[in-house]
Amino acid sequence: MAEPLAIETVELRKHYDGMEALRGLTLAVPKGSIFGFLGRNGAGKTTTIKVLLGMARPSGGDARVFGLAARDEQASVEIRRRTGFVSDDKELYPYFTVGEMVRFTAAFYPRWRTELEARYLRAFELPADRKVKALSHGMRTKLALLLAFCRGAELLVLDEPTSGLDPAMTEEVLQALVSHVAREEMTVFFSSHQIAEVDQIADRVAIIDRGRTVVSGGLDDLRERYCRIQFVFDGDAPEHAFRAPGVERTRRKGRVLTVTSSAGSSALVDEARALRPVSIDVTPIALKDIFLETVITEEA
Amino acid sequence: MLWYKSWLETRSRFFIGLALVICSAVGVVLLYPKVQQLLVTLPGTELGGEIGRKVREAALLASDYRGYIWSQWYRQNLIQLWTIFAVILGAGGLVSQMSGGGALFTLSLPASRREHVIVRAAAGLAELFILALVPSLLIPVLSPAVGQSYAVADALVHALCLFVAGTVFFSLAFLLSTVFTDVWRPLLLALCAAAVLALAEQFVDGLWRYGVIGTMSGERYFRGGGLPWAGLVISAAVSASLIYLASTNLARRDF
Repeated sequence: MAEPLAIETVELRKHYDGMEALRGLTLAVPKGSIFGFLGRNGAGKTTTIKVLLGMARPSGGDARVFGLAARDEQASVEIRRRTGFVSDDKELYPYFTVGEMVRFTAAFYPRWRTELEARYLRAFELPADRKVKALSHGMRTKLALLLAFCRGAELLVLDEPTSGLDPAMTEEVLQALVSHVAREEMTVFFSSHQIAEVDQIADRVAIIDRGRTVVSGGLDDLRERYCRIQFVFDGDAPEHAFRAPGVERTRRKGRVLTVTSSAGSSALVDEARALRPVSIDVTPIALKDIFLETVITEEA
Repeated sequence: MLWYKSWLETRSRFFIGLALVICSAVGVVLLYPKVQQLLVTLPGTELGGEIGRKVREAALLASDYRGYIWSQWYRQNLIQLWTIFAVILGAGGLVSQMSGGGALFTLSLPASRREHVIVRAAAGLAELFILALVPSLLIPVLSPAVGQSYAVADALVHALCLFVAGTVFFSLAFLLSTVFTDVWRPLLLALCAAAVLALAEQFVDGLWRYGVIGTMSGERYFRGGGLPWAGLVISAAVSASLIYLASTNLARRDF
């Protein structure tokens, strides 16, 4: 039986003034997962989030959250009722105090978590009477997280939650997120171009590039499938078009042929034996290398 | 709570506007004895043409308290001030809040864009209504201070004419604010439109009687012709259409 999905997009497209921000993006975010949405700047991460939350209309394809069509105005309101969101810019209302901001947001959510509100106001050391415009970027991020956490939401959508934060604040925010999700049953969908933080907290990832998904799956599964195989030959490495599945990238340099595979190493190694390499070295690759390999391959 | 947000966003503009129109009302009433003294010393003008006619008409109107209040205040000072604040209160909103105003946070709330438009328009119109009503009611309240009286009914009718017709400028700025991402272009364009309309109504025969500015001044009522129903209905219809267009424009906009 298929996993129930919190978010699903199929061939999602979005044009802005002749520019294609999304070019057939397909995603499946299972309920209960912590889903890292990776991509370079301008890859289409924020556009995808805006489409999912009804802030931008898709030009084609389908986007669903909790099975509801994101393009439908009424369904979109229901999606937002069940979703906590932190935007990339962390902009809130500068003329509100922290306390007013909390009361204002709480009024929209019948399932607002008052006990969580008190806990996070203390933990994040947010002064209730301070104006939002007087908060530092880090404090504003914490307030935005509090407002998202306390909604009683089933889904958290975080767009670059740690952008602009120093390493200590980044760690604090990630720890807060991880411990919140550990206590509450929810799905987290967060975009980032910081591979280390996705590696730290996500259990599933999608890597997108120029509006399309290039890699998607469970993080453990990706780590298992992706590897780098180095073949060393007596003379110059031969030019060879591998037939084995999952060849992402091939590089020849002198006597060394390096292949990046997304389908394990055995079929490739079997095929390469016919080329008579003098040594074969298989190494697992980290998420950062998967990201770089797939994005650079796409660029090539 | 969207009401509260709209109020916090516009309250400083509203209070500045209210303070100015109140000062204007107080000033116009308290200056009446001075104007009367000046009128006595004014030599009879023999100027010909349109200018002479206007001077003679102004002097004639100012010789009577009701005429003075209408010609100095309802027809000039209040219309000008009120129109400026109608445009200022109509400008701004979600689109201009894209940079630094928390528009994405607002759009992440479980409220439809139509709700955002309705609440913001209603809050702005309520503020404008107060900007028309309070200073108008001050006239009958303050008049005994200069030994005069002014009918509350007259004040209410003029406030109504000013508000209903003048909402056209609020709605125009409101619509333009869903088109442009800054606050300045809606402000400037709506003020330019008001200035052009005022000039057109001055120089095109017959337009003053049915136009927005003419209806705002309540001239027909002042001259004993009853309420300017045609102007009021046309203005209200134009206002409603502009707000509907703003709502449609915002609903289809990408953020």
